[in-house]
Amino acid sequence: MENEKSQHMEMKPPVEVRCREELEALQALDTGPRPLNWKLSPRAVRTFILGSREPLQWKGREILVQKKYLGNDALVERCIITLAGNRGLMLVGEPGTAKTMLSELLSAAISGVSTNTIQGTAGTTEDMIKYSWNYALLLAKGPTREALVPSPLYVGMEQGILTRFEEITRTPAEIQDSLISVLSDKVLHVPELGEEGLLFAKAGFNVIGTANTRDKGVNEMSSALKRRFNFETVLPIRDVSMEKEIILSEVEALARENHIAMEADEDVAEILASTYHELREGVSSMGHRIDRPSAVMSTAEAVSVYYQTMMTAYYYGDSHMDLGCLVQNLVGAVQKENKEDLEKLRSYFQTVIRDKEGKEGGLWRNYYEARKYLR
Amino acid sequence: MEELLRGQEVSPLDMEESPVYPGTEYDLSGPLLFFPVRHHSPACAFHLKQAIQDYEPDCILIEGPENANSLIPVLVHGDTQAPVALYYSYRDKDAFVSDRKEDYKCYYPFLDCSPELVALREAHRLGIPARFMDLPYQEILIGTKESRGIRGEGEKQTYNDDYYLSRSRYFSLLCEKTGMRDFEEFWEKYFEVRGLSEETEVFVHQMLTYCGFSRQNTPKEELLEDGCLLRERYMAEQIAGDCGTYKKILVVTGGFHTRGLMELLKTGEGNRVVFTGEPVKLHRTEKGSQEVYPMAYSMEAADALNGYASGMQSPGFYQRVWENAWRRGSAKGAYEEAVLHFLAAAGRRARGKEESISAYDEICAFSMARGLASLRGKGEPGLYELRDSALSSFVKGQRSMSTDGALKILGKLVTGEQAGKLCADAMRPPLLADFEERCREFGLKIHSTQEQELTLEIFSKEKHLRMSRFFYRTEFLGCNFARRRKGSDLVRRKDPNRVRELWTYKWSEQVTAALIDVSVSGGTVEEAVRSLLEERFGASTGCKEAAELLVRGFLMGLSDQQERMGEHLAQVLAGDGDFFSLAGGFSQLLMLGELRDLYQVRDRMDLEKLVGICFQKILQILPSMGQVLEEQQQECMESLRTLYQTTGRKEYREYRERLAEALLRLVDRRPVGPGIEGTALGLLYGYDDAFGERIARTAKGYIRGNQEMMAKGAAFLRGLFFSARDFVFVSREFLELVDEMLERLPGPEFMKLLPELRMAFGYFTPLETDRIAAKAAAFHGKTRKELLSARGVSPKEYAYGEALDAFAQAEMKGGWM
Repeated sequence: MENEKSQHMEMKPPVEVRCREELEALQALDTGPRPLNWKLSPRAVRTFILGSREPLQWKGREILVQKKYLGNDALVERCIITLAGNRGLMLVGEPGTAKTMLSELLSAAISGVSTNTIQGTAGTTEDMIKYSWNYALLLAKGPTREALVPSPLYVGMEQGILTRFEEITRTPAEIQDSLISVLSDKVLHVPELGEEGLLFAKAGFNVIGTANTRDKGVNEMSSALKRRFNFETVLPIRDVSMEKEIILSEVEALARENHIAMEADEDVAEILASTYHELREGVSSMGHRIDRPSAVMSTAEAVSVYYQTMMTAYYYGDSHMDLGCLVQNLVGAVQKENKEDLEKLRSYFQTVIRDKEGKEGGLWRNYYEARKYLR
Repeated sequence: MEELLRGQEVSPLDMEESPVYPGTEYDLSGPLLFFPVRHHSPACAFHLKQAIQDYEPDCILIEGPENANSLIPVLVHGDTQAPVALYYSYRDKDAFVSDRKEDYKCYYPFLDCSPELVALREAHRLGIPARFMDLPYQEILIGTKESRGIRGEGEKQTYNDDYYLSRSRYFSLLCEKTGMRDFEEFWEKYFEVRGLSEETEVFVHQMLTYCGFSRQNTPKEELLEDGCLLRERYMAEQIAGDCGTYKKILVVTGGFHTRGLMELLKTGEGNRVVFTGEPVKLHRTEKGSQEVYPMAYSMEAADALNGYASGMQSPGFYQRVWENAWRRGSAKGAYEEAVLHFLAAAGRRARGKEESISAYDEICAFSMARGLASLRGKGEPGLYELRDSALSSFVKGQRSMSTDGALKILGKLVTGEQAGKLCADAMRPPLLADFEERCREFGLKIHSTQEQELTLEIFSKEKHLRMSRFFYRTEFLGCNFARRRKGSDLVRRKDPNRVRELWTYKWSEQVTAALIDVSVSGGTVEEAVRSLLEERFGASTGCKEAAELLVRGFLMGLSDQQERMGEHLAQVLAGDGDFFSLAGGFSQLLMLGELRDLYQVRDRMDLEKLVGICFQKILQILPSMGQVLEEQQQECMESLRTLYQTTGRKEYREYRERLAEALLRLVDRRPVGPGIEGTALGLLYGYDDAFGERIARTAKGYIRGNQEMMAKGAAFLRGLFFSARDFVFVSREFLELVDEMLERLPGPEFMKLLPELRMAFGYFTPLETDRIAAKAAAFHGKTRKELLSARGVSPKEYAYGEALDAFAQAEMKGGWM
């Protein structure tokens, strides 16, 4: 029965499904004032994302709200207040800094749904942002609301919920600009519908955009559009121990979802976290200056390197994390665009890891020995 | 709040002692009322004023070194405007503090919202006595262990010790529990924003509770080493002493000390207060070793002293809060108005600097600040909400150097830009008075902050020479008052023959501050300069550094001091084994000799002998200088040339032969760098023409050698042309060789060598270049004229070039968002 149930499970259910219980408990116990059409009060939204110190007592059970976003608490608070106001929220930052995750958490907590999303690509067109038509119905009935296919933005305005716009700077600038009037006047005009063609946004509507700093210069955002957003720059995690915690918790969640009955190894996570941290910062904990690879050294990447190694250990090994395999996966993650990155990784091993091996020994020795896979 | 401070998770750090302190109540009936404060805290100042009104004391005792008591009239004078600071200095001549007999100084700044100043002003207004009661500055120093407390490391020291409040384990647990980012945010939320609107009674009680817990969780050894316990003993003794005279004493101290003071004082029979500790014995120090002066201060300087939570940060912001609270007569809205004020002010100033901040941005920011305050459970938005809201609403795009202009402006505004002023009859350190006297004597304008310009004819007017020396002296004292714009730069040996000097000078608060800073070194500008010069000269280890100080001393008109310095210089010379330091010092010494003749000053240190020792040492090291680092090559070449030129003078002719010998040993020793080899051979050629042949042979070796050697050939030429460029015109064969080299060099190699070659040929004058070019042209059967005409550019080529240029420009444009 259990097996059958899991066969029907989605690979990655949205936040509001995964955390249904927490959301329901928070909603039931929420006494704070809520902005119109918000499912939770700003304070409860904060608790949902940053966790609660005490477990919630709900329906005779104790529900501990987990901290889901690690890093900058003040940033989360600013995001929540921005969304309650008149401007959209734009999260910018390096890839893998959990911008998307944060925007999903915000949408799920505020509107109860995180899937009302436009994915920005180079091929995004204006009708994907505003609306398009079901042509069969259009021919049969003419331009009616029934024949109109609403976009996530349209849905957001109509229902008073948040619309997420992922990777907004992948979209051509003139297409991005179609957001301007919606964000400032909160109205969308559908000329084909005649007099009924004015869609006024319901309270609770707002837009969360994400943009990637690696896309710099691809599609410059117009200053008119910039003015309609509050910007929040999401920085990579600066704290190695926190990065380790993230790797562990993410990997454990992935393992649970995929029924891998294996515990994550804390020491290996620490090695990986410090490698990623040092390569990203360009300086080791012992003070070596090192060259930074041009590839993205995000925590999300570290999680996937760890998880790959874990799967290899689970299926082929005897559930023992092999550092040789870890290094091989690391090579795959680092060597993406630039051949020199591998050289940088090698020199990192030959300086920093060598010294750490000399000082700490143990697992670091195995890690250093695995440098033979750096090819 | 109460619940928070005594929360179960926080208090049982040390369960054996009772977590509930007696004496945290606000008891107006006793002979003593302890009022705990934090430096620059508007909430403390607000409630202190209330407490004075409620308690009606007949004396106020304030934490602060008592040797400043005579300056209280200046601090409370109607014309004195905050920020002001007390400046304490102590010269440890008796080695009470440490064997090193160092000088010490520290600041004690006061703002309008500093509770200590509020107490002094209120006492003055009510006509009751008020005084500082802490140990004199020197005693605190003596009672403090090295690098602890007031003797901490860092350039500027502050008297204040509020850092205790943020350092204990108690606080870190509180911070974790309340989810605050740091101590400042915690403090602002609970003690400033909330504290301001609480009843004075409640506020004092909570302050005492918090400070008591902080103290309970600070190790005793730490308090002992910081001199904290000693000071408390002294203060308690003072309080008990005054209790005989006054009936109601208000004691204003840092909250951390209240507990300590209470423990040392017991109420005996008939409400008599008795000191139960051991009395503090004071040291007998020489008169004049300890000084204290009031000085006008700036918000910026006060903020810079507030590191490690020793005083409230961003004083500009809290000053505004304080003003609001007083103007309104109540705490309500004081913070919100300040946030609005600073958002609008930052927006306005940003617009002036072409940052695109609109009024709508300000509206959004203000509503963000309010929203954040309510989300964070603060009654009103504070400094943290102000900063957060500006970060959200004023930064367009990714936060970076180019987008955070408005944030920087806001940062400046909340720090505050006000500068203080002292009343006219404030006592000044004698150094400052002397400085002002000199300025008056020379007719310098020091009552305006406009920059002034002056041209000094130092050789024709005696007064101008004295002025120049005065400017050099102020420069030496580091007070940033005058700058020489034009004229001889003797220290760097540039343009030594100018007869005029152009100076600009500008008076500012910082000049005063810097002068007060160095006032510990002497009573007049001259005295201070002399003692500093001697100190620095004594500490100098290299010949160059020492000789440079001699030159500076000369410029400041202190050549009479050279007698004593000569001896030290001879020692330094003996110990110096660095070629560059010796060579640098050597040319400075030569310069001194020239100056001596020029200004007709008597030689007091047997300069010739020192130059001789220096030369001798250089000659010893010279042969091993063949291999120097690339970046030192030019300096080494110049040093060689200076040595050569010196031997051309009559009085140093005897060194000629020895220099030639050393140079020869230099070029004979392998390996030798090509640049140095070229320079040395060129100089030797100057002594003896016979070296022409060797030059030609060496050049041939480089130029006809393999590719690597040819590359070195360029450096060799550079060295040679640097010291003996006339060689080119002497030998036709040599020029042919150079021509051959250029011909043989493959394109990419040539490009690599081009910078070095340009340097080499850069030593020629335009006329000489012309002559060389004509000769070179002749080798290829061309005339001088033909060289100067070039092929015309076709319109097609031109158009292509333009298009390429435009393309490149378009490619480089962009940026993002």
